[in-house]
Amino acid sequence: MLIENMVMAFYAIRANKMRAFLTMLGIIIGIGSVISIVSIGDTMRGLFSDLYKDVGITQAYISIGYWVEDVRTSDYFTLDDLDRIKKVFGDEIAYIDSSASISTDVHAGRTTMKFDFSGVDYPYQEVQPVTILYGRYLNEGDVLGRKKNVVMEKKSAEKLFGTENAVGKTFRTTFYGNTDEYTVVGVYEKEMNAFQALMMGTGGDTGAAFLPYTILTWPNDNFYACRLFAAEGTDMPDFMNRLMTFIAKMKGRNPEDFSAQTAVEEMGTVDGVMGALSAAVGGIAAISLLVGGIGIMNIMLVSVTERTREIGIRKALGARTRDVMIQFLTESAILAACGGAIGVILAVSIVTVGGAALGLPVVIKPGVILLAVSFSAVVGIFFGIYPASKAAKADPIDALRYE
Amino acid sequence: MWKIRSGAESGGLPQKKSEELIRLENLVKIYDTGAIKVLGLKKIDLTIRRGEFVAIMGHSGSGKSTLMNILGCLDRPTLGHYYLDGVDTAGLSSNELSFIRNQKIGFVFQSFNLISRTTALKNVELPMTYARISKKKRTERAMELLECVGLSKRAYHMPNELSGGQRQRVAIARALANEPPLILADEPTGNLDTAASIEIMEIFSELHKAGATVVVVTHEENIAAFTDRIIRFSDGQILEDRINENPTPVSGRIHTKGLYRNRQNKEEAVC
Repeated sequence: MLIENMVMAFYAIRANKMRAFLTMLGIIIGIGSVISIVSIGDTMRGLFSDLYKDVGITQAYISIGYWVEDVRTSDYFTLDDLDRIKKVFGDEIAYIDSSASISTDVHAGRTTMKFDFSGVDYPYQEVQPVTILYGRYLNEGDVLGRKKNVVMEKKSAEKLFGTENAVGKTFRTTFYGNTDEYTVVGVYEKEMNAFQALMMGTGGDTGAAFLPYTILTWPNDNFYACRLFAAEGTDMPDFMNRLMTFIAKMKGRNPEDFSAQTAVEEMGTVDGVMGALSAAVGGIAAISLLVGGIGIMNIMLVSVTERTREIGIRKALGARTRDVMIQFLTESAILAACGGAIGVILAVSIVTVGGAALGLPVVIKPGVILLAVSFSAVVGIFFGIYPASKAAKADPIDALRYE
Repeated sequence: MWKIRSGAESGGLPQKKSEELIRLENLVKIYDTGAIKVLGLKKIDLTIRRGEFVAIMGHSGSGKSTLMNILGCLDRPTLGHYYLDGVDTAGLSSNELSFIRNQKIGFVFQSFNLISRTTALKNVELPMTYARISKKKRTERAMELLECVGLSKRAYHMPNELSGGQRQRVAIARALANEPPLILADEPTGNLDTAASIEIMEIFSELHKAGATVVVVTHEENIAAFTDRIIRFSDGQILEDRINENPTPVSGRIHTKGLYRNRQNKEEAVC
């Protein structure tokens, strides 16, 4: 009987294709936007967790708070401060530096090119490894001796020097007004994940290179912020608590005067943003499902009126109130579920095509699809109750006489 | 699932498998339109025995349509009793009436009343669907019925692809699907030309010969002439009830073998 009803419902829907489609539109949009946003959210979450795995989940960035008005020279960090922190926290800190980076033009022969320089300590290779293709990474001597040596990214080297193997080549650049000659001691390659590629663009015009962070802290050795990587498996909130207390004490300030950003917190922020976005789209989806449901109710009322005679015939032939009710409920549920299914197909295509265009791995959970289609069927049943009961209650004599 | 009170249980006549299929006692139907009350039927007493071929005649407003609706269990009498196949239908709920219509009555309408956009086969299957007969059995039976009315080749045609006479034959096949004891035809030839009308009446005659009880409501004398008994209505009352000594002879071209199976000797399929 149920299958019979479903077949009948399909025939009835097929008889009015355009009308059925327009009726479904609200459901299509509602379900489509829900599936899209959930997929986009899941995709983003996946990307960010990849990104932070890359950046290092234990990374932290500490500086004097921007809200502090009476900033003193002593509030800046010095190399001695970094040493002291390292000594006190010992193995808990895997890496620490001045978090210095600078963007400037470099000149080699006739070529001029913009470069992003990251000032790092030599153990940076341990926390954020890159593949050395030619030459070597920075070493202790480079850092302590403030040697003007750099490790350059493969594509940047090719652009600047016309060859990947640029070891031994030199270029000129200016930091803080001092123009000097720098030597390439190594060339590296860094694999970027999809998100980094998206953010940084593939093969941009800006070059990248590492150089000893001590060069960028010079000449006064004061720096605004320090960044560090805690050892793997560190309890970040507790560690940060103790670290901030120590820094504040060292600087003669309250811990609240320092700002600390951790990757863990930022991930929380991303989740929060995605959550807010999901809630907003969820609201829109709820409204369009409501409107879609009302549309279904409307068209079912029209359908019941149009088919009054059919209802009369069915009743004359022995259909009970319940039979007629179930017939029309099945029809509205199928109408809505079809809308839901079309919405799912639409959303999946959009997300897949969009993901492919951006080169992102798209996450679509089958559970979400199942839930969406079932939910739209429930919407159909709910909004079908009134028209169906109107049909079921029709008096057979009046219904048979209806023209 | 179904709960049908028999006449005996509801305090009516003691029931045995009687000769009577239809028995109306003091039947009154009043239409209450709010402002005025219209008397549709005035104390009708009528008995129709099993196997009779009856014509109910009258002008519009004579009460024959009202009687038709009550006989078809589409409407309930205001007062009095209507026993159909031993069951007093006066106090039944609308779902119980649905069951009676499904099992005991085969309707044939003036405007055919086939369900549009639904094949002839599905139309014939419909009463069996509501009787919860399995898909396989009802398709088998529906094909058999269409074969009997000579439309097996049209089984998958939609009603709008059939002529009036063909549609009415599909309707007759549908009316017979659940082998009801009573076949109730309301102006069955009203929308048909003479040839098709005769064809339809010949089918009814054959059904009557096979043992079916056929009640035809009509205003055409030549249609009524096919029947054995003619009841005339006027002003909500029976004006005349006579036996038709010389019913119009049928050509015998129509074979209805297998179309009607007499269920009289079968166990009652109630509840």
